[in-house]
Amino acid sequence: MAMTTQATPPTAGGSLYIPTPARIRAIEDLTEFERLFELEFLDGHPLGHDPGQFVQVSVLGIGECPISICSSPTRQETFELCIRRVGNVTNHLHTLEPGAIVGIRGPLGHGFDVSEMHGKDVLIVAGGLGLAPVRSLIQYILDERSRFGRFDLLYGAREPKEILFKDDLTEWRESADVDFHVTVDRPDEQWRGKSGVVTTLFKGLPKLDPAETMVVIVGPPIMFKFVVLEVLARRIPQHSIYCSLERRMKCGIGKCGHCQANNVYVCMDGPVFKYGRLKAMREALE
Amino acid sequence: MLDRMITHSAFLELVDELAGKRRIIGPVARGERFFYEEVERAGALDLAFNYCVYGPRAFLFPPTETLFTFQQIEGRFAAEAVVEDRPTALVGVHPCDINAIRLLDRVFEKDHPDEHYLSRRRNTLIIGLDCPRPCTDGIFCSDMKTNEATEGFDVMLFPLGAVQEVGASGKGGGGDPQAGPSVRADEPPAAPSQYGVVFGTPTGREWLLYSHKSTVPTAADERALEQYHRSKAAAFRRAIKTPSEDLPALLDRSYDSLLWEATARRCYSCGSCNLSCPTCYCFNIYDELDMTLAAGERKREWDGCQLPKFAEVAGPHNFRAKAASRLRHRIYRKAKWVREQTDLPGCVGCARCDRACTAKISSVEIYNQLAEEA
Repeated sequence: MAMTTQATPPTAGGSLYIPTPARIRAIEDLTEFERLFELEFLDGHPLGHDPGQFVQVSVLGIGECPISICSSPTRQETFELCIRRVGNVTNHLHTLEPGAIVGIRGPLGHGFDVSEMHGKDVLIVAGGLGLAPVRSLIQYILDERSRFGRFDLLYGAREPKEILFKDDLTEWRESADVDFHVTVDRPDEQWRGKSGVVTTLFKGLPKLDPAETMVVIVGPPIMFKFVVLEVLARRIPQHSIYCSLERRMKCGIGKCGHCQANNVYVCMDGPVFKYGRLKAMREALE
Repeated sequence: MLDRMITHSAFLELVDELAGKRRIIGPVARGERFFYEEVERAGALDLAFNYCVYGPRAFLFPPTETLFTFQQIEGRFAAEAVVEDRPTALVGVHPCDINAIRLLDRVFEKDHPDEHYLSRRRNTLIIGLDCPRPCTDGIFCSDMKTNEATEGFDVMLFPLGAVQEVGASGKGGGGDPQAGPSVRADEPPAAPSQYGVVFGTPTGREWLLYSHKSTVPTAADERALEQYHRSKAAAFRRAIKTPSEDLPALLDRSYDSLLWEATARRCYSCGSCNLSCPTCYCFNIYDELDMTLAAGERKREWDGCQLPKFAEVAGPHNFRAKAASRLRHRIYRKAKWVREQTDLPGCVGCARCDRACTAKISSVEIYNQLAEEA
């Protein structure tokens, strides 16, 4: 697989903006607000994405919105999107049934440079809906396990009912391939696990080797700031820290201007960035 | 070096012939102001215009356009691209606007070529008209080095012919008969009697030469062009204290200046600066359904970074919720970021933003105030 190279979207009928039809194969409720959609292109071609890339999802007549791909390219011919209902398009997507056709443009943007992580220890820290974009990387590492060193995964959610991918969590907890820990900010009476913000999970981490560890942090800006502090305190260099940004994207191909953070078009250069680069983008985490 | 000479009347005849093959867009007088409009005949054009209120951007990148039409058929959809290729000629485009079009060309070609723009552009002939002197007060095209165009046109006209003297022009040394048309707001501007012609593309050369209406430039014509350039260089004055190539560094030092907040207090976030800017290209994409609810169009429309919701995401969170951060974003784009991304000026100094601003926010003032602080 060609990593970090951007696939040129197919130009249907001379327009970059025409989406390719894809069928919803399965829908799973993850929480009250998030659903997991499994999709396949009608012509059967694989999406051919890198972990961390995104697609533009169309409901014709309603509109289009950017959604990160939450399945690994190693896993299946289909691909998965975790969609929170929050706007016109996503609310409409939640009314659809398996078999319905939606439009897809992509894969778009730049994802994680997995080749750079080969041979290294990997620490992934995800907060809230940030678990969706990194799930593609988690699956990739688990599927190509021998190419990576130690693998730690920390996940924080606000409340137990907001926890995503519960089946995956059970699998990761039992797996010897990943050391996985989850915490919630506000536990309820049924919650038997850890509580507190995600940085509290750092106490259980083994000593990180600064030269041999790649760190991925994806979550809301406020979480990112506290987590990056923990990571920098462990002497991890800035070029070994990745983050994925959320922005409004209309075109997804570096023209419409909506996703621009300082001098960077997030849809083209990102959504995945190294921390060293983010520091120079003052708007990135504001 | 001139390629040909052509009289004003012969040029108009050429444009009239061209009107049989292409839609003609050029400056038209509306009261005391000028606008780029479609005309049936060359006689409707006013080539002695000072400036057009808006640049010709809308004829290459319309305010709204359909990207594709779609139909839902039994749960599936069929989509058909809408790509316009109507032959068009933009007649009488000043160097600032030619430089603006060069930027749009670069942006829409870059990385993922946008056929909607590029098809229109490929089918557009651009006939430039050089400016012998500043078109109005407040412009800063000479600061941006965009008061001349070296490429981006098919044909460029230099108004060299002796003009009828329109009284004693108050500014700009109107005594020089070689300097081109004198433009005064209170009198109808006079068209020059002849133009020196420079070809920009083989298409432009072919078009101008086919009718044998132009003549070979003489040594006197070449001398007139030299005199024209000397006179022009003296007529344009710098307005910005910082050279344009140093503006990125000036902005680098000014990110946290209080001036953004202080200036933005006056900003209404109305987006008039974006609307009037010939280099703004940001857009929104949206769908429109027809009455059947089974067919419709996906369209795009101009958007503006100064509008409050431009950088809003679901949540909702707004990455530039304050007018100050939006103003800073616009100025950084125009003087730094777009240049870094395209190697072309992101601002052509036409000052349409400054003229359009309800709150009289001035780009020149911002640059000069930042230079004083830094």
